Amino acid sequence: MVLENLVKTCSPNQRAGAGCAKERLCQVSADRTARKIKKMVWHITKRELYDHLNSLRFAFTTVLLIGLMIVNAIGYLGEHTAQSTAYQKKVSASLDKMRSNAESLYNLLTEGPGPLYKKPRPLSFCANGGETFIPESAGGVGEGLFMTSSRFSISTTWRMKYPQSNPSLWDLMPDYTNVDWGDIISIALSLIAILFTFDAISSEQERGTLRLTLSNSISRGTVLVSKFLAALITISIPFLIAALINLFLLYTSGSVPLAASEWGRLGVIVFIAFVYVSIFLGLGLLISSRVSSSSTSLTILLLIWVVWVVLLPATIGALTSGLQPTMTHNELTARQQSLASRFFEQYDELWRKTPSREIPATEETLLWSKYLTEDARDNEKLNEEHLNAQIAQVQFSRSITRISPASSVRYAIESLAGTGFTRHVQFLKHVRRYAGEFRTFLTETDRVDPESPHALGPKEGTSQKPVRFESIPKFEDRISFGGAYNAAATDILLLLLFFVVLFAGAFLSFIRVDV
Amino acid sequence: MFLTLIRRELLDNLMTFRFAAAVVIMLLLVVANTVVLIKDYEGRLADYNTAVKTHRQELLERKTYSDGMGKITLDRPPNPLSIFNTGLDKRSGNEINVSHAFTPTIWDAKKHEAENSFFNIFTSIDIVLIFQGILSLLALIFAYNAIAGEYEHGTLRLVLSHPVRRGSILFAKYIGAIVCLFVPLLMSLLLMLILLTTSATISLNTDDFLRIGGIVFTSLIYLSLFYLIGMLISAITRRTSTALILSIFVWGFLVLVYPNLILTAVDTAPQTDTKPATYHQVKQMWEEFERKRKQFLRNDAVPGEDWKLSFYTRFNDQPSRLLYYHYPGGDLETIDEKSEPQVPHAQNYHHYLGMLTVNIAERRWLIRKPVFETIYVQPANKARILLKFSPAGLYDAATEAWTGTDLNGTQDFFRAAQRYRQAVVNYLHDEKIFASRQWFSADQGSVDWNTLPQFSFHRSDIAINAKRAVPDLFLLFMMNILLFIAIFLVFVKSEV
Repeated sequence: MVLENLVKTCSPNQRAGAGCAKERLCQVSADRTARKIKKMVWHITKRELYDHLNSLRFAFTTVLLIGLMIVNAIGYLGEHTAQSTAYQKKVSASLDKMRSNAESLYNLLTEGPGPLYKKPRPLSFCANGGETFIPESAGGVGEGLFMTSSRFSISTTWRMKYPQSNPSLWDLMPDYTNVDWGDIISIALSLIAILFTFDAISSEQERGTLRLTLSNSISRGTVLVSKFLAALITISIPFLIAALINLFLLYTSGSVPLAASEWGRLGVIVFIAFVYVSIFLGLGLLISSRVSSSSTSLTILLLIWVVWVVLLPATIGALTSGLQPTMTHNELTARQQSLASRFFEQYDELWRKTPSREIPATEETLLWSKYLTEDARDNEKLNEEHLNAQIAQVQFSRSITRISPASSVRYAIESLAGTGFTRHVQFLKHVRRYAGEFRTFLTETDRVDPESPHALGPKEGTSQKPVRFESIPKFEDRISFGGAYNAAATDILLLLLFFVVLFAGAFLSFIRVDV
Repeated sequence: MFLTLIRRELLDNLMTFRFAAAVVIMLLLVVANTVVLIKDYEGRLADYNTAVKTHRQELLERKTYSDGMGKITLDRPPNPLSIFNTGLDKRSGNEINVSHAFTPTIWDAKKHEAENSFFNIFTSIDIVLIFQGILSLLALIFAYNAIAGEYEHGTLRLVLSHPVRRGSILFAKYIGAIVCLFVPLLMSLLLMLILLTTSATISLNTDDFLRIGGIVFTSLIYLSLFYLIGMLISAITRRTSTALILSIFVWGFLVLVYPNLILTAVDTAPQTDTKPATYHQVKQMWEEFERKRKQFLRNDAVPGEDWKLSFYTRFNDQPSRLLYYHYPGGDLETIDEKSEPQVPHAQNYHHYLGMLTVNIAERRWLIRKPVFETIYVQPANKARILLKFSPAGLYDAATEAWTGTDLNGTQDFFRAAQRYRQAVVNYLHDEKIFASRQWFSADQGSVDWNTLPQFSFHRSDIAINAKRAVPDLFLLFMMNILLFIAIFLVFVKSEV
């Protein structure tokens, strides 16, 4: 920006002079000025940098960041091992159940694939993403026995169910958050950025050194850019050191597998952190140049910070829940009941109809099959509708909380770390796709059994042959990285926009400052 | 002279930008959050009312005593003061089954279905959290130049040239600033109370207002503590810029970092290893029950289990909660003539087993209680003690005690539920219900559930709240005094 300015100031000369030589001369002088400016920027940056590095706040920042990162690493190591073992245990229990159900295709049809679990992510130390409040599983489970009579007994067909979040009711611990990278970046780094810039311009104004600097042939833009760069470098030094210590601890412990793609995403997270810090540096410079006393500037900045970073993400989320209504609990139960009562309304004659194993399937068997399939399908549809309404509500609130960059940065880190709400939505998509696969598998396996009447649903109409366990499709939770980057891109762009606006504001206001 | 000093300090503080900013920000935050919190409370209250109604309805539909025993569900009303400090009020279970077969605890509680539980990912902010974070920051912003500023401007030398003692200067500064800081606190609280009283669903009684008074008093002490911390930093550093930076870092550490850090660093998560052995112990008790049941049947005049009366067994097996029990019951509509001779024997049988169930439930509670204490309560208490090393933690604990949303206050409900269970069991004993026909059969009319003891729950008295809050309050107060003495010593000995 500064360079462009200078080139522009040069252009009147260029117009005044006629001819190629003069033009070239002007070009050369512009180049020279640009080089001079670059040198100047670096010179002032260096001066500022030395100032910062020798200051008390730098020492505090270093201690604070390193402390936080070490605690994060230690806390996470214990947690990750526990989570991984718990996950393995649950998955193998679920598979064992499936293996025993594989004795007969009918059992698979009534019991379904069982609960499907979300795999713990290696990068969850970057963003915990409120995982404690998000369900860890979704599952295809059976409803159990539906009807028995002396002639037959009918079990319902499996359907997908989405458990609501289950924060442990037994947990009597006081509220606290596991410190993750998201917290360190969104809260600590933004505060630190403010502390490094609140007096950047106002204190120089107070001491009169700004007048001295500007009396030399230095443009104001240069001064501003240098101050910005110096603060950014100063903050990035302790942050990078702390982050490296954190990663070193995690990496040497061996229990956290970090593959190449994880390192790539960590790199993007660090980049996001720099953009986020720049936003607050821009804000600090803006306020500092508007306000002449540094204490007032700090007061204003702290208040903005408290509202923007700490309170808005929480309050706005809860405030906006009313704007996007979801299916209420009463409505849900009412619709569930109406689905259940359909049996008596439309299929009342089924009471008297006994399914049989005759081939081809009798009318009775087919009717039972139709009812059971419809019942499972419609209930599943209702569950899904309820879930989608809830997801839409949360996503709406999340998009509004993005007016705070602290939310944006958290969401971006969550997407990259593969945790949190976006990840849960992705998990649900995988789960649904898997449910379809499982269903097709059941139909196709039944089709090749010559002894089955091919009326899936009642025991009599379904194949009862054992199924080879290996041939059953298994759910494997995986994350698509393309999706992660895409989801993060919006937030990164938003952060960049915040930065550009605030820095432009700082630039404009600094240009007009009376020294 | 002292009054002049105070007046000067007051004017100095009141005419500043930071005072105006403090008032505006407090009003803004408190009002915005009160609206959210009231909405949240109203939602929970509506859920509670629906739950009470449905649970009552479910109970009234039961025709026999044994059938109703699994259906007595008590609901925990939301605490209106949770607007101030949510504590455990929102998180812990809010409905619990009461039966003669087990002692109800907080671990057996369930939760009403919420409209959209995904919303928990947005952290909720209560009024105390605002005070805890913002008031302390404001106090430090008021304090950082209290002494250092006077050193820098040289005004201290001027003041001390008058016959004024240094102690009174300090005290005047302290009083002036606290009065100024109290203004935004009180204003925001008043606005909040206005909002609370305009809401039709929230009814606060006299005790509640006294509790709010307790919260205000605690807030004042907390405020003064942070002002003194700022003053000490100001007196030691003697430079405003250093004092400011140091103050902000101290604030960040005490309020933001320490509470989250200490619980992440010190592993206080519940350990669940002791469970399988104890669960086995519990299961053995019920094997004994089964043995005794079979023995009873062998000795009985109607041998074997071949009842013409069809009974079912209520069965509950939850290893994670150390629950394992079953007891027989029935919900017969009619008893035909052929079965009639069996009825007295069945009554005998149910009487014997009912008494045995109650007995075993009480013995099992002796096993469950210490296990729960070690697994859940002790780590939680340890975590709370660790948090109290920061004034923010002390403040949170004290206000939780005032509002009754702390661990003790939440447990109060479950203690009441336990007492209620005892009352129900006594009623069953006294009225000889286990031995009655209505235990398993409704052929001579359904049970009149209104004769059962009624449950009512009132939050603990204000005196108990005060008793629970006092230790933390006292600690906060002592910290105040110590800090003041420290500031005095530093200031008296310093050269101007």
